[in-house]
Amino acid sequence: MARITCAALTKSYGAVLAVDALDLSIGHGEFMVLLGPSGCGKTTTLNMIAGLEEISAGRLLFDETEVTWTPPHKREVAMVFQSYALYPNKTVRENIAFPLRLRGQSASEIERAVGAAAEQLEITHLLGRRPNELSGGQRQRVALGRAIVRKPSVFLMDEPLSNLDATLRLSMRGLIKRLHQELKATFVYVTHDQAEAMTLADRIAVMKGGLIQQLDTPEGIYERPGNIFVAGFLGSPPINLVEGVIADGAFIRGDFRLPLSKPPEEGRAVVLGLRPEDVSAGGDVAARVELVSPLGSETHLDVLAEGGVALTLRVPKEWRAAPGDRLSFGIDPARLHIFDKASETRL
Amino acid sequence: MKKPLAPRVTRAILLTLFSAIFVLYVAGPVAWLVSSSLQSEAEITRVPPNWLPQNPSIANFEAIFSAADRVVTYENRRQGEALTSTFLPSGAANLLPAMRNSLVIGLWVAALNLLLSVTAAYAIAVIDFRGRRATLYTVLATRVVPDIALVVPLFLVIRNLGLINSLGALVVTYLAITVPFTIFILISYFEGIPRDLYRAARIDGCGHGRALWHVYLPLSLPALVASLTFAFLTSWNEFVFALVLTQNVAAQTLPIIISGFIMDFTTSFSFVNAAGVIAIIPPVLMAVVFQRYIVSGLTAGAVKG
Repeated sequence: MARITCAALTKSYGAVLAVDALDLSIGHGEFMVLLGPSGCGKTTTLNMIAGLEEISAGRLLFDETEVTWTPPHKREVAMVFQSYALYPNKTVRENIAFPLRLRGQSASEIERAVGAAAEQLEITHLLGRRPNELSGGQRQRVALGRAIVRKPSVFLMDEPLSNLDATLRLSMRGLIKRLHQELKATFVYVTHDQAEAMTLADRIAVMKGGLIQQLDTPEGIYERPGNIFVAGFLGSPPINLVEGVIADGAFIRGDFRLPLSKPPEEGRAVVLGLRPEDVSAGGDVAARVELVSPLGSETHLDVLAEGGVALTLRVPKEWRAAPGDRLSFGIDPARLHIFDKASETRL
Repeated sequence: MKKPLAPRVTRAILLTLFSAIFVLYVAGPVAWLVSSSLQSEAEITRVPPNWLPQNPSIANFEAIFSAADRVVTYENRRQGEALTSTFLPSGAANLLPAMRNSLVIGLWVAALNLLLSVTAAYAIAVIDFRGRRATLYTVLATRVVPDIALVVPLFLVIRNLGLINSLGALVVTYLAITVPFTIFILISYFEGIPRDLYRAARIDGCGHGRALWHVYLPLSLPALVASLTFAFLTSWNEFVFALVLTQNVAAQTLPIIISGFIMDFTTSFSFVNAAGVIAIIPPVLMAVVFQRYIVSGLTAGAVKG
């Protein structure tokens, strides 16, 4: 285990600032997920932690040791890549054993460690094969094996599941979570997949434009998004965002009116955020059903409420509705998110 | 729908025809070289020529291997008749030593060329350092200058270094020719190796030397073999620099010695061709041994395809 401290970590490519003075402290044994869209700086941050990208400014510490200028092979980190990055000329056994061979371990130690890692990942039967004889899921298991066999204090994972199909991704996600629980190492995991972030992370750092937008637990990020970007990035279907003003202690947009539990000052231009699932049957919000998308376990309804406010609702499958139907539903004011329209931050 | 038969047959005939013409064009001179080396001078000058030897004889080869034991002087140089294959050019005894020189130079050039080029190409292709692009362009610029323009400057440099008439002179010169080109070839190859493999190697514990040794070299085998062959053949075949930089038989190479046979008072084409056959044996052996390494797809399975 190791604590990772990024102090004003900066990466620039000429005039382009990829990571902008990032401050982040990752605790011993913590599972930290860097989440964000393409180009937000999450992979660059991971590469700086790995030593694969030179740090333009700032400091990086593992525990109390500064590693800002330490080359990657001396940082004692393991990394799993989106592309698997297996050595094609080596067998699975040789791939997993490679980091140990480089450290000069004895043949018997290597054999024991490789066997244990292979057993843990259920790839013992694949040890004699070469990467081109494996499926995507098997290759990613081998890549995980190569990482865990070293028993490093820090695991870095760069979108390791992005190339797998949906079913395999689910099972691999479970495997990674189990590995974290068993190894008790510090994990830094980069993804753009909110479901992966929510299910795996102890804490999530949502990034955009080289900056951390919000750093919190998955629940905290979801329940109390710090700004409109974070609110919109997490949640499927995405949060409903409606522009309006505050008047008489309520959110107003044309004929659409929602009373608020803690309203900001009168006349303020705001953006209302409503998670699609935060609705209940039989309230006083009237709407016309535009589109019905049954998913089996639940149903998504696109509705048009008063004042031309378009909303997406995630409702139980028992809600029977057809396009054109009128329906009314309730919204708990405590579940609403209010953002300042100008600064886009939470009020 | 299946293609009509007539166009398919026409296509097959044309393909076979052009392939046959191409093979004749490429292999014809080599076949004639081998065939004529087994004939007497009288036979190979006959009109029409005998494409296949009527009375195959290894007399020319025997002459080559016994040349060292026969002293050819001004007085006895006409001891043999060219037409009966007993004629021996005055420099015949130098053929095998020259072959040894060519072999030594070729092997040194091939090995040193690979050593220098591999490390330089790795640095330029993989390591991000200031001046990387300028280095690449400088290397390439040296290949823009025609060899003939370098003869005099190189002669002066080599002479001032005291290397004239030494094998080292040719090794150094041939490296100057082969290294830039090999670097260029290897850079392209190294850049084609997925970058994540380099990253994985660095994370796994490789410094640059080990990343090169454990990852880049095994995956670049075809390019390495091609570079090795290119460097060997370049030095094996080179004529102009060898002519200028070596002026005694102790350091002269095969092309210089063989060309000397033609410039003699009498030319025995059958003997020259036999020497030619011997001269092509090492490159042919090299091609046969290494051709199985020139394959594609070594990086299959490394990264998500």
